[in-house]
Amino acid sequence: MSPQTRLAHSRRRARGRWRVPKLDPAGAARAAELYRRQRALAIAPLALLFAGILGLPLVFALFPGLDQVRLLGVPVSWLTLAVLPYPALTLLARWQLRRAERAEDTP
Amino acid sequence: MILAFAVAPVVLVTLLIGLRGVAAMRTTSDFLVASRRVSPLLNSAAVSGEYLSAASFLGVAGLIVKDGIGALWYPVGFTAGYIAMLVLVAAPMRRSGALTVPDFAEARLASPALRRMTAVVILVIGGLYLVPQFRTAGLVLSAVSETPYWVGVVVAGTGVAITLALGGMRAATYVQAFQFVLKLVLFIVPAVWLLVQVGPSVRHDAVHPAEFTEFERDTRVVFRVGTTLDFTEPTTVHVGQETRVVDGTWDVPQGAKVVFPRGATVPEVAGEARPGGTEWERPLLDISDAGHPLLSTWALVVALALGTMGLPHVIMRFHTSPDGRAARRTAAITVGLLSVFYLFPGIYGVLGHVLVPQLYLSGATDTAVVALPAQVDAGWQGGLFTALLTGGAFAAFLATSLGLVLVVSGAISHDLLPGGLSRLRVTVLIVSAAVVLLALSAIRLDAGVLVTWGFTVAASTFCPLLVLGIWWPRLTVAGAMSGVLVGLFASSGAIAGTLFGLPVHGWLAILVAQPAPWSVPLAFLTMVVVSLRGRPPSWARTAMLRLHLNEDRPVTEADRFRELRDGRG
Repeated sequence: MSPQTRLAHSRRRARGRWRVPKLDPAGAARAAELYRRQRALAIAPLALLFAGILGLPLVFALFPGLDQVRLLGVPVSWLTLAVLPYPALTLLARWQLRRAERAEDTP
Repeated sequence: MILAFAVAPVVLVTLLIGLRGVAAMRTTSDFLVASRRVSPLLNSAAVSGEYLSAASFLGVAGLIVKDGIGALWYPVGFTAGYIAMLVLVAAPMRRSGALTVPDFAEARLASPALRRMTAVVILVIGGLYLVPQFRTAGLVLSAVSETPYWVGVVVAGTGVAITLALGGMRAATYVQAFQFVLKLVLFIVPAVWLLVQVGPSVRHDAVHPAEFTEFERDTRVVFRVGTTLDFTEPTTVHVGQETRVVDGTWDVPQGAKVVFPRGATVPEVAGEARPGGTEWERPLLDISDAGHPLLSTWALVVALALGTMGLPHVIMRFHTSPDGRAARRTAAITVGLLSVFYLFPGIYGVLGHVLVPQLYLSGATDTAVVALPAQVDAGWQGGLFTALLTGGAFAAFLATSLGLVLVVSGAISHDLLPGGLSRLRVTVLIVSAAVVLLALSAIRLDAGVLVTWGFTVAASTFCPLLVLGIWWPRLTVAGAMSGVLVGLFASSGAIAGTLFGLPVHGWLAILVAQPAPWSVPLAFLTMVVVSLRGRPPSWARTAMLRLHLNEDRPVTEADRFRELRDGRG
């Protein structure tokens, strides 16, 4: 049996074992603190993400002239759509990963 | 031929790596144990391997040929989804210990009814995602080897069913990571070769698109489904052996092989714009040519960015991370890996527009990627690159389908029916057969469009459930159930409306074809309002907070005391 299949099987055995979730007081306080921190940290990257993916179409709609400007023969608007988002998203992911991990590392 | 040289090696190497992986490290044969050793880089390669489906490998380029540069928004949305995943879901989902959304529903809200309901949602998402995989596999095999469409679909379905029935993908993490590297190489190398080989005039035409109005050479089109074409002038065409003059409306019969002569005016496909017009080169996507490209593009990216976190086969992958922190890293690295891959579909798209625009006549633009090499080089090189791309496409199809069929079968046999071990195996066969039957009748639907509907349903159901389940302690079972139900009916109802041709126009047509902008807020709102009217159980806050507690937290006094008491200190 393959690992994936076994995993699918093992789910059945795990059923019905639900227990009331418990946290010791120290853990609960720590979890509440982390929850608040991560929630605060989540706002900026999400705002940036949606500003980017909703803002760029708006730019294209407002400035159709970008289709006529060419860089190395290729319309600037094409390049902006085909290339630009990827380094931007990669940097955003890296930045947020650092922040989220730092929040967990500080006591 | 192609089948032997392109598809067979991919399947064989996949199986071989699986077997070797197991032999090399005995302990990794257990997926669950292996999970503690898989590094974020390896795991994100595996996530990307499972995620890059036929829609990414073939569908995006096909949609560019058909709809224009705006189709490049699809890969942007596919990648952006992992940012939302990284910020909101990855780490807490891993810490919940849940493998699937039904598991999560049970862990967080302790409701068997919600578990069953989410299992039904998995069936809908899985169906919308699996059908285009099978369809595209059938289309590609029939395009490169001239077999009927159904042969390809049945071959694909049989391949998936046999692989899973024999025991699935062994050492799945290694196989999927290998599949990612394979797909990346098989996508990038032919793209570079094509760019070098096509010559300066094609490269010039590629960035100066002209409307496809006249056949530049004698062009042969195979119609795998009957199509209605509108001719503006009498045109002499060759249908098989016979020659005939057609004018006005012509219903092309199924299976017809038509040769259009050089210099003839290109007919129009009923209800679709010709590729390459002024709208084609705009970097916005006009869904169903409704005339509101900005709204269309917004609707699409919102659906894709929010839907990613609810895809069942992707969520399952995150369990391979040892802890929440590694899961978060996996999501972040995945953004980088996908970014490399998605730099290339555009190249196939713009070259496809110049070299194989006629594919849109028969609704087969999804085969543009594999049709390109033969246009550039008729010799052995073209044949070689066709085989490489077919192999890559099949790898894409296989990786996604195997994971999805297993998740869907698991949802049926574990969550919906009181299942047993043998039943899962039977379910796999039934699911594969059902998807084959659906795919046989779905030849007209583009892979990218169907997959996007899968994302839309995920965004309208699982996205609110996961986000509120992880970040809002007041979520109740009643709220979660009504929200999922509303999201499911709103999104799938709108999709059904589009499939059956609901007579709507303008911006309304967009909101029916791509309902995410209203169905996602509606589902969120329903969940919040219904939850606020009820009362969450006393343990609800603890159940939520537990998801945010990192596993490697500093040891507290209480922990140390417990360790001493249990004799482990």
